[in-house]
Parts: sequence; C-alpha cells; structure tokens
Amino acid sequence: MSILNVNSTLSLPSDELIIADKTFSSRLFTGTGKFSDQKIMAEALIASQSQLVTMALKRIDLANQDDDILKPLIAAGMNLLPNTSGARDAKEAVYAAQLAREALQTNWVKLEIHPDPKYLLPDPIETLKATEQLARDGFHVLPYIHADPVLCKRLEAVGTAAVMPLGAPIGSNKGIRTAEFLEIIIEQSTVPVIVDAGIGAPSHAALAMEMGADAVLVNTAIAVAKDPVAMSKAFALAVQAGRQAYLAGLGSQARTAVASSPLTAFLDL
Amino acid sequence: MKLIINDEIKTLAVTTVSSLLTVLEQPDKGIAIAVNQAIISRKNWDDFQLSENDQVTLFQAIAGG
Repeated sequence: MSILNVNSTLSLPSDELIIADKTFSSRLFTGTGKFSDQKIMAEALIASQSQLVTMALKRIDLANQDDDILKPLIAAGMNLLPNTSGARDAKEAVYAAQLAREALQTNWVKLEIHPDPKYLLPDPIETLKATEQLARDGFHVLPYIHADPVLCKRLEAVGTAAVMPLGAPIGSNKGIRTAEFLEIIIEQSTVPVIVDAGIGAPSHAALAMEMGADAVLVNTAIAVAKDPVAMSKAFALAVQAGRQAYLAGLGSQARTAVASSPLTAFLDL
Repeated sequence: MKLIINDEIKTLAVTTVSSLLTVLEQPDKGIAIAVNQAIISRKNWDDFQLSENDQVTLFQAIAGG
C-alpha cells in the first residue's frame, strides 16, 4: 500500500467536516489558479483528494476564449466554490456572486473583496455588508478576511457559513503569520474556520491544523511547485497529520527543560 | 439585430438569449449572461427576447484561488 494513499491509511472515519449543507472527509481545500496547464491542474487537484475547489469568473473574450476548466473537476466529483475576486466593494461582490450562482449552479460563494492590488488585503466593512446581503439571499458565504476575531463574530451574527482568515497575503507563501489571532478566532468561532492565503509549505498547513483550524485552502504553493502532483500529496498528508495531532492533544510548552528520562543519580556510586 | 456584446458591436440574426449563445458557440455550462446589467437566469434563456442595442455581458468560470 502506498504511503501516499492517505485516506485508506490514516483517516479517522468519524472526523468529517460539515459546512452548510455539505460534508467533507478532506480538510484540504484547493484553488485552481496559477497552474501551468489544465492537465496538471486536474491531476494535482485529484491527487490532493480535495473535495472543494475554488474558481473565478471573468468576462468572456469572444476572440480568444479560455478552455473549459470545469469538466475534469466535475468528473472528479469536486464541489465548486466560485469566488468574487475582482470585486472592489459589496455591491460588485453581490453581483459577482449572483453571476457565479448562474454560471456554476451553486449557492456557495467565497467572498473576496480586496480593492488594493498590492497586498490584496480584504476590506472588512464591505465584506461584512456583502455577507449579510448574500446570506439573506440564500447563499452559503465563505468570506476571505483578515485574522480579525471581532470581525469573525460580526460575520457569524449575519449568517456566515464559515470564516476564511488569512495566514499571510495571498500568494506570498509566507506561512501562518497571524497565529496569535487565528488562535483567538478558533477558540471563539461557532462556524468552521478555514485558514486561507499565505500557506506556502505543507508545514504551514500542518501548523494551522495543529492549532485547531477546521480546514485550510491552498492554491499557489501547489500550483507553482516544480511537481504540483507530488506537492498536492504532501499537503494532503500534512493536513491529515496536523488534524490528528490536534485531536490527539499537543503537550504544553515550557520555558525550561522538562526531563524525559528519570534523573536518578545512578553514577554516584 | 445590433447588440453590444462585451463592449463589441455585433450584428447577429438572433432572437432569444439561447439563440445568441448558440450563434456565439458558447458552452451551456460555466457561463452567465447579463442583458443591460440584469442577470438572466438560466431557466429563462429560451424565452428571454433580445432587443436592438441591448448591452449583453457574458461571463465564464475560469481558474482562480
């Protein structure tokens, strides 16, 4: 049996994640952006065992139309999570979500409102407004946000399906730079917490899961790897390892050494 | 009739949204359409009649994170 066949070797059958109306056995969500070609994208995402993949929406260029990327993902049984990337305020994001609902026939949406192109940091005020409206209109909203515990509670109050706090800026591969605040979010949240953005290595994903995140979303780190398929498998293992470590209960940290062997003075004869 | 499709002026022999999508050889999955900024629900594509000078915007699902 291959060690990479993670589901058959490692998974806990009862440890499923429920978000809105769906149940997931994989806690690794993936994005479809930045892959060098569609064949590698489909292979990598299948290898990741991800059950939820993000997509974007854009105006069609009739003269130069992109290929249909949906087919292999739907064939693999993945749930599609359209994002509202490109929206600069709540109004644009709501419109993008409505378009995505028509295009992909899903009422799930990853709400992204990041008007500043340099750091792509999410606008909390517009995000809260859009979440409230979309939740009222029957969407399952997964908002991309800064690791802001207060905002998370406000989003819960308006009916968010989950929260997606960032570890570091999108595509930066810098890892979990917001750890102190993610811990507070995880402690307080009544909805699933999906750490999104900045996860650049399997160790970052494992750390987020060890902290008690419900899932992570990884895109760039897989897509730009030299071997995206192998990197997908590495992330799948890391997410499972981190989750199991969390469930097993990590030991506490100490400032000084705490002996692992008995310190009997057997040499003092 | 004359339509403005994603900012391009085109003259096409079409009547409904469905007939437009056929003429433009669009797939039936993964796309959305708005006419004069109003999103046309998939279930209304067969019946929605286009009018001269309508502004049509077509959207497509693409790769993204």
